[in-house]
Amino acid sequence: MIDSLDLVPVRAHLVSRPHVRLELQPGDRVIAVVGDEVRAGDVLAEKIRDPRMVETPMPRDGADQGIPLPGTWLPGEHARAGRHAGAPAGELLFEHGGRRRLATGAHPDRLLAPGDGRILEVEPGVALVLEVRGTGLAATELLGEPHSGRLVVLPEGSDPRLALDVALAGAIVVLPGRLDAEALARARAMGIHGAVVGSLAERDRRDLVASAARQQAGPHRLAPFGVLVFGAYLRRAFAGAVQAVLDVAAGSTVGLVGDPALLLLAEDLALPVPQPDRIVVRGGAEAGLEGRWLGPGGLRRCRGGITAETGLVSLDDGRTLAIPIGELERFAAPASGG
Amino acid sequence: MSRGAPDAIVPPADAGPSSATARDARTPRSRRVRPPRSDAATADGRRAAFSMLDHGSATLAGALVGQVDGRWRLLAATALPAGSSPDALVGLLADRLDAVDPAAARAIGNASPGAPGRWADVPRLVARSRPGANLAVIAATERTRAWLEEAARGAGWSVVAGSAERTDPLELTRLATRPGVGAVLVGVVDPPGADERELATEIAVATAGIAARRPGLRILLAGPVPDEPLLALRHAPAIERLPAPDGAPGERVASRLRDALAAARGGTDDSRRALEAAAGSLARVLGLRIEILEIGVSGAARVLASPRPADDGETRAAVQLVEVPGAALFRMDQPGSIDRVDHWFTQGLDRARLRDRLAELAIAPWSDLDGDGALLRAAALRAALERLLAATDAELGNAGVDLVVGAGGAWSAIPGPAATHVVADVVRRPGTVQVAIDHARLLGPIGTIEDDAERDAVVADLAADILLPVGTIVMPRGLRPNRPAGQLLLETAGGRSELDLVAGGLTLVDLPPGARGTAELAFRGTPELGPRGRHFRVAVSGGLAGLLLDLRDIPLRLPERPDRRRELLGTWERALWPEHDA
Repeated sequence: MIDSLDLVPVRAHLVSRPHVRLELQPGDRVIAVVGDEVRAGDVLAEKIRDPRMVETPMPRDGADQGIPLPGTWLPGEHARAGRHAGAPAGELLFEHGGRRRLATGAHPDRLLAPGDGRILEVEPGVALVLEVRGTGLAATELLGEPHSGRLVVLPEGSDPRLALDVALAGAIVVLPGRLDAEALARARAMGIHGAVVGSLAERDRRDLVASAARQQAGPHRLAPFGVLVFGAYLRRAFAGAVQAVLDVAAGSTVGLVGDPALLLLAEDLALPVPQPDRIVVRGGAEAGLEGRWLGPGGLRRCRGGITAETGLVSLDDGRTLAIPIGELERFAAPASGG
Repeated sequence: MSRGAPDAIVPPADAGPSSATARDARTPRSRRVRPPRSDAATADGRRAAFSMLDHGSATLAGALVGQVDGRWRLLAATALPAGSSPDALVGLLADRLDAVDPAAARAIGNASPGAPGRWADVPRLVARSRPGANLAVIAATERTRAWLEEAARGAGWSVVAGSAERTDPLELTRLATRPGVGAVLVGVVDPPGADERELATEIAVATAGIAARRPGLRILLAGPVPDEPLLALRHAPAIERLPAPDGAPGERVASRLRDALAAARGGTDDSRRALEAAAGSLARVLGLRIEILEIGVSGAARVLASPRPADDGETRAAVQLVEVPGAALFRMDQPGSIDRVDHWFTQGLDRARLRDRLAELAIAPWSDLDGDGALLRAAALRAALERLLAATDAELGNAGVDLVVGAGGAWSAIPGPAATHVVADVVRRPGTVQVAIDHARLLGPIGTIEDDAERDAVVADLAADILLPVGTIVMPRGLRPNRPAGQLLLETAGGRSELDLVAGGLTLVDLPPGARGTAELAFRGTPELGPRGRHFRVAVSGGLAGLLLDLRDIPLRLPERPDRRRELLGTWERALWPEHDA
């Protein structure tokens, strides 16, 4: 039996034991190995800030233990008397013409585990895959780097310029109100590990990226900082189902990851699940309102002359409206991340 | 249901020779589902039917097609956001057909009337757009990189590229291992030049290093690239051999490599590539020079198809298709992209807000449907069309055609009459052209039918349902602006009307869908309308917008000042956009 609710696009919501990819670059040194059980904050890899390529002669016979594959981290070799100039430690790109190409660099940063879990896969210089023990709350994207910390939910309407202080250092802060790049830069400077926001304008994203680039270029780099976005670019409040999960998770240790974009939550939390027919209006005049699906509303002509399929929605404010299905979404049932 | 008239699309009287010069549209493809023959009946004696689904990046379009009076007709069609259930969509259409015409609904289908899922098991023609396919191109030299990159972009790939000549191996490794890259194309010309011979081995070894890091990465080798380093890996990757890049440097020609790359990117049901076959059928069946301008959220394509008689008395079609991922509707990563949307947008909006709204639409293409959201889509469509034409004019030319077809989700998000205005604003060519929209998005699924004759038969039955005629544009070049330009005498079956023409603006003449007539144009000067002359007699056909006499400059010149430009564009837009100010 086909349910008319299937006409409404689904948005991912809760994912149990998600598999998350943590991005690496050629030259990064992976410390964790497949099968390792890790806890939030454990060092998984050393990330080279400015990798460069060096060509080195092949080592003397027997110096390698077996034939190294591309992606293998090779220890440095001291220069020896004669023509051997030595080689820095680095990751092997490939061997050709009697020489090795290595990716190497100074100033390693640490890649920390964003949550408890197990290393499933390591692709040197590409990514490592972590199976997280717990649940992921699906977001739209992560700007910045993965991180973890205690979740602090600021009250609706609070001004981030006043609410953010050093007492929140090490926390992941949920910022429900109006937000700008200045507030995020301030949060980063105070040692806050990350922010969770409903949306972020393009201008603020650019400022954030530029700020991160400046930090990366400096000799004394600040700690990683991530901004997890649940909506998109235009200002929107958190959907009710998302806000309910955030409220339950407040005070617990959470993680931010970008591939897929998730807020990682502890395994022992009793998380509320929205009703299957719960509908969120994501655009148009009723954007941000929520309600219950009643059924197809037929083809209707919208303001401006566009004809679109609509659905009948009983909104929480008591009105029943026919709203274009394109403006609607619902949350998927909890899924497994495998 | 179709809103077009069966014979609405007719060749204009001044149709000139074909401008397309490419090969026949005979792309081999394996068929997934064969539509039943139009005279077929089901086991329980009911008339045959099938459904069509076009899975776009933003939109799921569906249609029910059934046999009525011995020919295929479109019974119902609609579109939903991508992510909706195809079964639910087909069920919605079946319910709608039941409600509108219960007798027809009972007579067509597969199972007994009233049974659940009666339409669920009829044959389905399915086409899918393949978005976001990222290809890393690694070439030996910069010259070869340019060839490979051009071929890959023309085949619809999003490309990152480097060459051993200019890019160090670390950077090559980084670009091939960045997130989203699903395949690597490595190529040298055949035979390799002196500068490529040594580098060919080096890039093969570098690619082996990349493949060792990314098991499962697709490796495409074009030309004589040695594969020994790849085969020596512990888990050797699957290697696909493609033709070497060919053609003279800087020459933009359809190549075997591009065809092979297109086949490697999309499956047999790729909706954008399927337009090639569908355009060929339209050209053969209608006997018209066809241009399809497809704009979607994940890519765009331009197709030219011209009929030509064959020695055996049959009609063939010469078809060219070029894909342009950079002309995707809301793709704003090229310099000046936002400025062009702002150029066409008739509502004042600050740049930061405009950028946010476009970025939001790229994520949620169906949101913000009404009000100025639709106007913003129209502006983005114009900007995307400009990019499409700019990227393809060198290869496909800019010659006139008989019929322009708007395909893809972008055209469905604006009212039909406004589509005529969009075409007139951007496709600035002297001549007479009919404009139609693939309103139910049938061309993609139809293009997946492998057999030409079978596809032509379906198109012959459905042509009037496939194409929603939105109007005819008459566009002379060489008139002196803001002066009386001459007279129009329009003769139709319903009567005759005369009109004085003033150069510099748009003149709209009512000509409903299905109406046909002859327009006699007597100019004071000698403008170009195909050929140059004072007197022209052209066949015109109606549409939702009617007959549009576009007496503006070619190319279109608009005021520099944004407020004046918006006012002028808004004036034209209001005339062709019902409920523009609602």
